[in-house]
Amino acid sequence: MRSTLKNPYVYLLFVLPTIALYFLFFIYPMLTSFYYGFTNWNGLDTKDYVGFANFANAFKDADFRHSILNNLIILLFSCCIQVPLIIVCSLLISGVKRLQGFYKTTVFMPSILSTSVIGILWGFIYDPDVGLLDKTLRSLGAPTIYWLADTNWALPAILITNAWQWMGFYIVLILAAILAIPREIDEAARIDGATGPQRAWYLTVPLIKPIINVVIMLSIAGALRVVDIVLVMTGGGPAGATDVMASYMVNKAIKYSDYGYGTALSIIIFAFALVLTALYQILFARRQERVEF
Amino acid sequence: MKKKVASAMAVSAALSVFLAACGSNGDNGNGANASPSSSQPAASDASPSPSPSASAPASESASPEKAENFTVSLRHIQIGDAQKFRKAILDDVVKKTESEVPGLKFELDGVEDSVNRFTKLPAEMAAGNPPKIMDIFGGAGDTQKYAKAGRLLDLTPILDELGLKDKFLNVLEPFSVDGKVYGLPIGGNTEGIFYNTDIFAKYNLNPPTTWDDLIKAADTLKKNNVAPFAAGSKDAWVPNMLVNTLIGRIAGENTNSGFITGQSKWNSPDVVAAYQMIADWEKKGYYPKGELGKAYADMLTDFVAGKAGMMFDGSWRSSAFKDDAVGKDISGKVAFVSLPPIPNGKGNQTSVNANYGEGYGFSSDLNENELKAVKAFIKNMYSDEMQLRGLLEDGVLPSMKLSDESIAQVTDPVVKQVLDVLKNAGTTFPHFDSVVQSKVYTETETQLTKLIAGKATPQEVGNAIQKAQDAENAAAAK
Amino acid sequence: MTPTLRKSIPHILMMAYVVVILAPFLFILFSSFKADNLAIALHPFGLPKKWEFENYREAWVKAKINVYFFNSLYLAFSSAVVGVLMAAATAFALVRMKFGRISAWIYQFVLIGMLIPGNVLFIAQYLLVQKLGILGTHWSLFLPYTAGALPFSVLLICAFMRSIPRELEEAAIVDGMNVLRMFGQIVLPLTVPALVTVFIVNFLGNWNEYLLSFFFISKDSLRTLPAGMVQFRDAFQTNYALICTGIVFSVLPVLVLYMFLQRKIIEGLTAGSIKG
Repeated sequence: MRSTLKNPYVYLLFVLPTIALYFLFFIYPMLTSFYYGFTNWNGLDTKDYVGFANFANAFKDADFRHSILNNLIILLFSCCIQVPLIIVCSLLISGVKRLQGFYKTTVFMPSILSTSVIGILWGFIYDPDVGLLDKTLRSLGAPTIYWLADTNWALPAILITNAWQWMGFYIVLILAAILAIPREIDEAARIDGATGPQRAWYLTVPLIKPIINVVIMLSIAGALRVVDIVLVMTGGGPAGATDVMASYMVNKAIKYSDYGYGTALSIIIFAFALVLTALYQILFARRQERVEF
Repeated sequence: MKKKVASAMAVSAALSVFLAACGSNGDNGNGANASPSSSQPAASDASPSPSPSASAPASESASPEKAENFTVSLRHIQIGDAQKFRKAILDDVVKKTESEVPGLKFELDGVEDSVNRFTKLPAEMAAGNPPKIMDIFGGAGDTQKYAKAGRLLDLTPILDELGLKDKFLNVLEPFSVDGKVYGLPIGGNTEGIFYNTDIFAKYNLNPPTTWDDLIKAADTLKKNNVAPFAAGSKDAWVPNMLVNTLIGRIAGENTNSGFITGQSKWNSPDVVAAYQMIADWEKKGYYPKGELGKAYADMLTDFVAGKAGMMFDGSWRSSAFKDDAVGKDISGKVAFVSLPPIPNGKGNQTSVNANYGEGYGFSSDLNENELKAVKAFIKNMYSDEMQLRGLLEDGVLPSMKLSDESIAQVTDPVVKQVLDVLKNAGTTFPHFDSVVQSKVYTETETQLTKLIAGKATPQEVGNAIQKAQDAENAAAAK
Repeated sequence: MTPTLRKSIPHILMMAYVVVILAPFLFILFSSFKADNLAIALHPFGLPKKWEFENYREAWVKAKINVYFFNSLYLAFSSAVVGVLMAAATAFALVRMKFGRISAWIYQFVLIGMLIPGNVLFIAQYLLVQKLGILGTHWSLFLPYTAGALPFSVLLICAFMRSIPRELEEAAIVDGMNVLRMFGQIVLPLTVPALVTVFIVNFLGNWNEYLLSFFFISKDSLRTLPAGMVQFRDAFQTNYALICTGIVFSVLPVLVLYMFLQRKIIEGLTAGSIKG
């Protein structure tokens, strides 16, 4: 009877299509990336081996260095500012009985929408002539800010939009973990006279640490994946102020037809993703159960 | 699945017959409206083949078998309200061509100009699957590059066959490689200053025909909280227009064409001086705040709304100020002049920029039917009739030789001023975007944006562009 | 501080958050009914003075939202369904069939995919679909979408299948059922909760995907909603009322879906991120 589950034909039938498709669209592109990354291919004629020139140029390229910096700013913003806010919000929601479902549904909503549509929507809100934000700020007496046109404000504008879209998602994630904590523990602490904030900090937060780890990991990965919102809202401008690694890579490949250089950049992005993930795992998450990615 | 496809094809076949029928009707109506005289017979006189309307397609359609339906992709950039006149001409050509070629259905794909030019086309060319008919620019960065890579159809035999060879003005060079023609400019333009005569009258300003008057106007407007110049710097090609003319005037009219030969350098003092002027104007506040967030369309909007007194733009914009166009609010209150002579400029100070840079190119990958369609499209698009319509309806200067009587039909005051500007020009120079390689051109946009944002000095801008130029020139020499 | 006040502090804070989330939507909704930019600029917060339903007709025709919408719908749906079925079959083979070592290897091999951020593969995938001759067709989206979802789908479904007791399958074997029928009639129905979760995650991911769809598709008639909307904005940059109408068209269906399926969607997406 074991043989039923040892039928190699069925096994192949079930496994091969997945392996084939996965290989073709994951592994093969990854391998060709390494190949193209060492050439100067422009898509039309030349394709010569250029060694590490693309990688050396990438780190000499001030614009690319600036886009790395932007990625790091996004990363720090999401880990150091968003994550604490997310924890506070989920604690707040978990503490109320009425409207809990409403809050959860509402804050989660932006994360199911297309990033490109959100980019268009917020581009309109930031518009200095007709946008909602300018009207609001000006009614409070603030001067007009040219959000997406100002090299100092464009990145914050994108950070805000990105936070607006994704914070709710993480809040719901953490909220689920908080609500899964047995009620009795909280009750016991309350009887012992612990105040709300005390219970939240000393009791709830330690209990949901694994999920906070997950959120931080996702934030790191998310910060390196940011690209749609930049391409849609600013295209990396003004003057490269909002370029992130991925948008810079896409522009180099598509606008300059620099496929060789572009793929080299994509390998660098990949390396960043691996290193940051590994670093975080080693430095902060080692005592927790390992979070699988 | 199969069934669905089949039924979809049946529907689309029926639809295309229907559309073709409408098409020919619509075309007759419009053609009659637009050009009451001359053009149609003129076309047939010029053509060596017995009758142009019957030349390519008609002979084939004589074959007895029923025509199979086929589609031809056509990429154009006439999207949005401001482009509606140009789109109407295209639509009429499409309808006419469809009615002439049995089974043909064009599949129109409208893409915004710079997206098409800098994103879509390069990628499609690299992939080897460009649209069969596409809006394309002349020069080393566009047509010539793609032609060299074998992506574009050699039009020389078609021009001979249609008798169009000598009909064009001397404007095919940017579209040619080794004497062969790979693209056809649809028309021409010059870039200069549009100004709002109402605003100039209100502040008692002279027309900006001398440098002093221009600067005085700008300073006065600035003082009165009107932006001197409208801007669309989010699309960096927009401020690049002024850069181009400044380089021509300050560094000399041959400078732009000398970049690819190494005769002129981006970081030479004269070219840097042109960038310095941009930087100075930025510093003086001649442009509205937040200009890097304003796209090309916003420039017109601001100008029409009276938020700015002048704008530096291409003469094609004149059609926006017609009574039924997007800029109708200031119709009759707009005038066009060339940039006034710049003190101490090295170039001929009566020279103006003249571009015959944009037109249509055709994929080299065509089957027999598609080739028929392309020929018919060329015949219909590059006719005296459509050239005149382009001039009268859209303010686009003809790229083909039109009779003086035809040109005399121009009544639009702004178009007349444009024609005057060109008539009075001592000499003309091209826009560098139709000269330099695409990587260099993209670098000029990147650097200009940095200059406007105050993130780079004029010298740094010149150095960076020259670096890209050197690399490209070296690669080309290999 | 009175107890009622203390109790209402969370509500005050959360209500502020809710306003921040909802205000943009209301702004877009109201703006979509206004005549032009001027009307929006003069009364940004208020209801329109005159309701312009014309915008909706214009956007539907001009923006071809209907075309984009159905392209997105069928692409997102078909590739999510195919992806789920492929992943389920593979998960079954890996978890339940007796090819221990090979299965373990394959499982690890597929999981590598989760380490690769999607946009890293962008250029190489672009060149790949170009080489396959499917650039500019819906296949160039369908295949990467389906493939892109596989690692996570396999992981999640494997985890779920491991938790299903084996008794039913063993009984089925005793009854002489062959493995294909067993998979279709016993295992798949038991796995439905995981399949639905995976389906929702994949569907939304495909529905919202922008990068590939913008660069791999050039024909207007084949564009999906995210790329089509950006194109639409670029064409009508200065007419915000019309753009807002487009946004409403593209957001509304998702929100309606969310209204009915919110529990399942939230469950699916959050489970998706922690991987079971």
